[in-house]
Amino acid sequence: MNRFIPITARPEAARTARRGIAALVAFLLYAYPLLMVLAAWELAGWADLVRPLFLPRVIGVAQQFWVLLREGEIIDPLLVSLYRTFLGLAIAVVAGVMAGLLMARSKWVHWFLDPLISVGFPAPKIAFVPIFTLWFGIDHISKILLVAFNCVFPMIVATYHGAASVSRVYIWSAEAMGTSERAMLHRIVLPAALPHILSGIRVTVPVALIITFTTEMIAGGGGVGAALMFAQRFFQTPTVFVYILVMLATGLVFDRAMLVLRGRLIPWQDESEEA
Amino acid sequence: MSTTVAALPGGTQRRWLGAGWRFLPVVIVLLIWQLTVDLDLVDRAFLPPVDAVAAALWEMTRNGELALNLAISVYRAFAGLAIGSILGIAIGLAMATSQQADRFFGPLVATTYSLPKSSLIPLFILWFGIGDVTDIVSVVLACLLPVIVSTYHGVKAVPALLVWSARAMGTPHHLVLWRVLLPGALLSIFTGIRIALGFCFVLTISAEMIAAKTGVGKLIFLYGENGAYAYMFGGILALVVIAYLADRLLLAVMHYALRWHESLHTHHRTA
Repeated sequence: MNRFIPITARPEAARTARRGIAALVAFLLYAYPLLMVLAAWELAGWADLVRPLFLPRVIGVAQQFWVLLREGEIIDPLLVSLYRTFLGLAIAVVAGVMAGLLMARSKWVHWFLDPLISVGFPAPKIAFVPIFTLWFGIDHISKILLVAFNCVFPMIVATYHGAASVSRVYIWSAEAMGTSERAMLHRIVLPAALPHILSGIRVTVPVALIITFTTEMIAGGGGVGAALMFAQRFFQTPTVFVYILVMLATGLVFDRAMLVLRGRLIPWQDESEEA
Repeated sequence: MSTTVAALPGGTQRRWLGAGWRFLPVVIVLLIWQLTVDLDLVDRAFLPPVDAVAAALWEMTRNGELALNLAISVYRAFAGLAIGSILGIAIGLAMATSQQADRFFGPLVATTYSLPKSSLIPLFILWFGIGDVTDIVSVVLACLLPVIVSTYHGVKAVPALLVWSARAMGTPHHLVLWRVLLPGALLSIFTGIRIALGFCFVLTISAEMIAAKTGVGKLIFLYGENGAYAYMFGGILALVVIAYLADRLLLAVMHYALRWHESLHTHHRTA
């Protein structure tokens, strides 16, 4: 009997190996354009087509990443930026959901907020950086509030659309059974608007990241954006690339995370449904 | 949304009343602003009163400074938006109709979509120097991605039946693109362009604030640094108005281009 064990085990091993190879091939097939870009980048440096000051070698960027990582120059500013991003986003979500729900339930709130939103939504709020710096200083508060100011508009609109599209039948039924206005918001309108609110958050997370990074680039005061500008001022191009890649990775990670979270929280609704 | 008063028949007077009623909240906010300063609830040094801002705006308009810098910024923003939209529609259309294009651009779009494009501004400054090219290139990149994604989804959502019918009637491939797929995807494309419109101003202003010699972003930044806050607020207000008007203009163009589209009458909502 013993002799059969290796025989049965071998296909197992072979299968995992084959699966590994298949996964690798699939990855290469998927990522080939990215690898091509990397190859072109490295080739341009290798063939001396561009000066390393303008486009550093891939290896140089990787080395610089490792150096910065060990010195804590990646994690620390990233934590600062993320703190600002998510506190600002949290404020925007709370304020936006409240305002959106009230807009859907009250004609007067709607009348008051509607023109302000239609002016405020398309406004390039990054232009308010000097005002926020003047009012709230150069540290966390000005950045957090600017993120909140940016994100509150999409959150209001998403919540309002969700809340306004709640089926009348639910509202009538609840009214007929004597539901109070508070309970109506909590028990009927908010749950029904939840998918829209979550989509709103998903759309807003990148906005929050963009505003944090950009504000830090413009006004300084710590964070990945400020570190990026600092490196650029001293022509440390590999460091500039490292921070750009850190921002890229941050954006990607949180976008994925939001997708997963959305799938967990409201598995019954498909993202593509309301695209 | 809530333009029912304006929509009622009854001539222009009624319409102006409707518009006035609709924008009354903006006036109220300006009044509250003026009152908080007049009642000394906040320091004038931190919040210039509305009349001071209006005077500053008037002064900036009179000496031509505002118009010149606004024109420069709007040129950069719209040039970038136009190039980005055209490229975006072309790439999105290619991705939706060809598997090779999809395989090539798909991963690139997926990886770079969530990159804050403003992070590339320092790099572009290094490559192209300070000025129009840097600003326009960063705007193009920022506008490209939402237009690609919306064009792609829009074309994919065109009912296959329409494409089959066109083919069955012997429509050549390029005409299927031009007469069937693009019009079918137009609503979605406009949604993407509207997102890109927002980005184009953000990127222009950011680039100007990070490094520039001209432009309204630079103007605002300079006034802020020199403590001329009434002028700074004036510049920002002018920019907000321009961005609002651009958004309305795009909506009007969209309504005109899609006047045949059945979903517009039910779909349209004010953002």
